[in-house]
Amino acid sequence: MEEQPQKQAADQPADSGGEGGAGGPSQVAGDQAARSEDRMTLLLRLRAQTKQQLLEYKSMLDASEEKTPEQIMQEKQIEVKIEDLEKEIEEAKIAFEIKQLAIDRIRLSTALKKNLEKISTESSVLMDNMKHLLKLNKLVMKLQQESWDLEEKLLDTRKKRLQLKQASESKLLEIQSEKNKQKIDLNCMENSESIKIIRQNLQMEIKITTVIQHVFQNLILGSKVNWAEDSALKEIVLQLEKNVDMM
Amino acid sequence: MSVLRPLDKLPRLNTATILLVGTEDALLQQLADSMLKEDCASELKVHLAKSLPLPSSVNRPRIDLIVFVVNLHSKYSLQNTEESLHHVDASFFLGKVCFLATGAGRESHCSIHRHTMVKLAHTYQSPLLYCDLEVEGFRATMAQRLVRMLQMCAGHVPGVSALNLLSLLRSSEGPSLEDM
Repeated sequence: MEEQPQKQAADQPADSGGEGGAGGPSQVAGDQAARSEDRMTLLLRLRAQTKQQLLEYKSMLDASEEKTPEQIMQEKQIEVKIEDLEKEIEEAKIAFEIKQLAIDRIRLSTALKKNLEKISTESSVLMDNMKHLLKLNKLVMKLQQESWDLEEKLLDTRKKRLQLKQASESKLLEIQSEKNKQKIDLNCMENSESIKIIRQNLQMEIKITTVIQHVFQNLILGSKVNWAEDSALKEIVLQLEKNVDMM
Repeated sequence: MSVLRPLDKLPRLNTATILLVGTEDALLQQLADSMLKEDCASELKVHLAKSLPLPSSVNRPRIDLIVFVVNLHSKYSLQNTEESLHHVDASFFLGKVCFLATGAGRESHCSIHRHTMVKLAHTYQSPLLYCDLEVEGFRATMAQRLVRMLQMCAGHVPGVSALNLLSLLRSSEGPSLEDM
């Protein structure tokens, strides 16, 4: 209750103009009904307000009756406690909402039952609505079934595609391994010793043949025979044009 | 009285009172004007204060909602708010206190980090609202929001209480663990 002179607390109240609910129009004739209605709404609103405020005060009273723990707890513990309490509040709220829903549903169904007992079953908006609902539900179920089937088909095709891919992958691997084997074999073959010996022999033979051919050629040329006339001689001489290595 | 208590007075019929606490008079006045322009079924009373405690000489009605307006551009306003918070009773923080941070639009002028405000609001378990009170449009929207909150805190909306509103407004973003 101390006055603290250093703190300059300026306090200005500001009002809003009049109440919004009860502002009636200025014409007198025919407004009595409107104004009494406005008054009724105002009264009902005020009643709701006072009810709510009373509820708040009551709940504060109930809350203050509970003993709050006076021991000094650490900040972390307080926060954890606060969270727990908040969770409790949320759970209570949710439970309340669910119960409210259930009660509303029960009420609705009893009202519906009573209504159905009174009216005839052929011509009523309710029956039309219900029939429409049933039709829509059937349609929904059918469409859901269709979409489920389509999804199944899609899944099947995807599975098949996957299998094909896997098969092709394995085949390609096989091809690759075969090619590698072939390459290795070729290399082995080329590098093997027997091939080298054979090659050397081949080279030797080629040289011998070339020498023999040269000898024949020189023989024919040296004997000054006209080799162009005889076909066999021509053949021997001209054969040297062909390089034996290329055969 | 040096400490504000929420329920020490009886409420006036059809009246809701809000207290705006902040260092910037012009902004508070503008916000108050926007709030009073709002269409509301109950009567609104707006009180402006630079800081708490309020002088006890004035006969004022029961305060339903306190809004602490903090200007992110000045550290002084934050300091002022923190000091004023000591003069508010603990039972006020059950939904009847709200923090309003203004000036977040101009990031370069902000000397208070957003995290500080978030931590402050988290410590006091109260909602934190952001609004650039200098911009007309935002101010009008915020005034609408505040009027609606005020109605709920004053008990004018059947079925919703201040505590209810608090748990609805609870944001999942608290200060990050490194800061705590």
